[in-house]
Amino acid sequence: MNQIIGSVNESAASIFEGEEIILKVRDLHTYFYTDIGVARALNGVSFDIPRGKVMGMVGESGCGKSVTALSIMRMVTKPGRIVKGEITYYRKQKGQKESNTEIIEEIDLTKLKGMGPEMRSIRGAEMSMIFQEPMTSLNPSYTIGDQIMEAILLHQGVDKDEALKRAIDILNGVGMANPALVVKRYPHELSGGMRQRAMISLALSCTPSILFADEPTTALDVTTEAQILDLMRDLQTRISMTIVFITHNLGVVAQMCDYVTVMYLGRVVEQATVDDIYYNPKHPYTSALLRSIPHVGSRQKDRLQPISGVVPDPYSAIKGCPFHPRCPQVIRGKCDVDVPGLTMVGKSHTVRCFLHSDTVEVESDVRH
Amino acid sequence: MSDIKANIDKDELLLEVTDLKKYYPVRSGLIRKSKGWVKAVDGVSLFVKKGETLGLVGESGCGKTTAGRTILRLLDPTGGEIKFNDPKQGWVHLEKMDRKQLSTVRSNMQIIFQDPFSSLDPRMTVERIIAEPLVINKMARGSELHDLITQLMKTVGMRPEFRSRYPHAFSGGQRQRIGIARALALNPKLVICDEPVSALDVSIQAQVLNLLEDLQRDLNLTYIFVAHDLSVVEHISDRVAVMYVGRLVELAATDELYYSPRHPYTEALMAAVPKPDPRRRDRPIKLPGEVASPANPPSGCYFHPRCRYVKDICSQETPPFVEVEPLHFSACHFANELKLRGVIG
Repeated sequence: MNQIIGSVNESAASIFEGEEIILKVRDLHTYFYTDIGVARALNGVSFDIPRGKVMGMVGESGCGKSVTALSIMRMVTKPGRIVKGEITYYRKQKGQKESNTEIIEEIDLTKLKGMGPEMRSIRGAEMSMIFQEPMTSLNPSYTIGDQIMEAILLHQGVDKDEALKRAIDILNGVGMANPALVVKRYPHELSGGMRQRAMISLALSCTPSILFADEPTTALDVTTEAQILDLMRDLQTRISMTIVFITHNLGVVAQMCDYVTVMYLGRVVEQATVDDIYYNPKHPYTSALLRSIPHVGSRQKDRLQPISGVVPDPYSAIKGCPFHPRCPQVIRGKCDVDVPGLTMVGKSHTVRCFLHSDTVEVESDVRH
Repeated sequence: MSDIKANIDKDELLLEVTDLKKYYPVRSGLIRKSKGWVKAVDGVSLFVKKGETLGLVGESGCGKTTAGRTILRLLDPTGGEIKFNDPKQGWVHLEKMDRKQLSTVRSNMQIIFQDPFSSLDPRMTVERIIAEPLVINKMARGSELHDLITQLMKTVGMRPEFRSRYPHAFSGGQRQRIGIARALALNPKLVICDEPVSALDVSIQAQVLNLLEDLQRDLNLTYIFVAHDLSVVEHISDRVAVMYVGRLVELAATDELYYSPRHPYTEALMAAVPKPDPRRRDRPIKLPGEVASPANPPSGCYFHPRCRYVKDICSQETPPFVEVEPLHFSACHFANELKLRGVIG
């Protein structure tokens, strides 16, 4: 365990001006060693997550959004492995709030054992995750109450009666009707919206500092989606939780997030405030993504502009910028040769593209 | 609904559905005695003009898919009329036809399914999948069939060299193209698109939506576009029908429905769509509770337990589906009094 005790200010050096950072990911590589080859799911992912803010992660399927979250949570299992990189978690010591001297502990999560005691004490208690399909992530053979109580009993050292009381409180907090009854129900007895609320309760049971929400509303109807988003917004302001919102729904991102990270083929291509991403996108992929969706209420009946081609499979290595085969602004002899480096193009705005900078990413060797 | 026909020339219409019902029995006990009905579709009336796209929206379980399939007679209706303007036979009553008679109109009515992964037989090559309707209807054989398939694959933007591949070798968007080619093989007039893009990635969605629009223009197709994504429906539809617990609550031209809705449920739906613009953050109208169950719907207006404008009459009387403005229909007691908010505040 790599621990450096420092003050709040020391950890605040980040691309996000004036934000304190809770998690710093640098040059993260996660590969999957399968029978048909090595799938390079993450190819040097670097980004910061500001504390107490909502960070959106967007990109097409297969761009590495979910693998990034799973890597941070250390939940990548065989045949996958983190082969390189650093994930620094700035843990705020709980219970030591002597006025100005809050203690921040720096932990490199990649140095911990995925299933080791340190990681297990962080996962579920300080970092948790909500998944897209609540039916497959809740255990069908335990009641909702048992599943929420399991986390409380494991991390909070209370007895069963107290845990049950807390479970009912949490369900109440997420707007579940009849929480005292719901704790005795099995997942199949609940509707989709109620299951997602149960899933959120489970993730929130230990009031985590970071919540990874992986497409939490994709399987829900719009009115239920609106309820869940409203709930997450309330929770975020009430307990100032950091939320990483993984989604491909650009409407949800615009409504929910403070910052946005755009990923393509295992790399971060752009990171900025939500306003800059929508009104001043710098990467051709970000612009293309925004142009390809129908905007509700725009009264426009113009043709949609799809991104040509498809996301290449992660087994093939593409020389140069991974987006160059689909990019409308490709510079031949440059984009297909080198990988552009991540460059600052404005206050809290970074992009990885030769249209904006000539910096070349030094490709580091990854030993398998 | 019957008085609207006066305004439209019958020849312009392709389909007219009146009071369509599809009930499923709820059985229980040893002798499977029927204890009640799930009214999946409960009195839907609508018409579709030639060459237009009618969007059919609603939340899961509202009966939009069942309505689509009952219109095609893939499911047998419990009641109501389905009249189809067949190019050869003229107006026919689909609900009265038997299997043999139906086979004479089937080639003019096709469907594209939601899930391109489960709607294609994994043991059939692309060629066989697209050829199947042509072979069954004895439309083509031999080299003529081969050429037709080449043509169809080109039409939907696929390379004909891939004809002998199996569905697993294709991505979601490509598979949806195979499904579209199969639906178009018999040169239909009416195509029901049942959530055709909801399983696809955003960038691929745009490709398939553009393809559907091009095909509509080139082949003079008429679509019923069943979907829950309101931004996609706004983009593709000329008119939109909103369903709630088996009934239509509103039907109007797309712009009218989106910008000046006349039913509180439509208003709530429009407010709930997350707008892709960080400078327009508005809190959605809170809809309390859950969608009512079609097995045990509330009294009166099905929407009344969740409606923020509810009055006494709403729980007692079912509001009729009436024309509140020319060609704008709504089933709300207060459609003429409420000032409702559209998709823009």
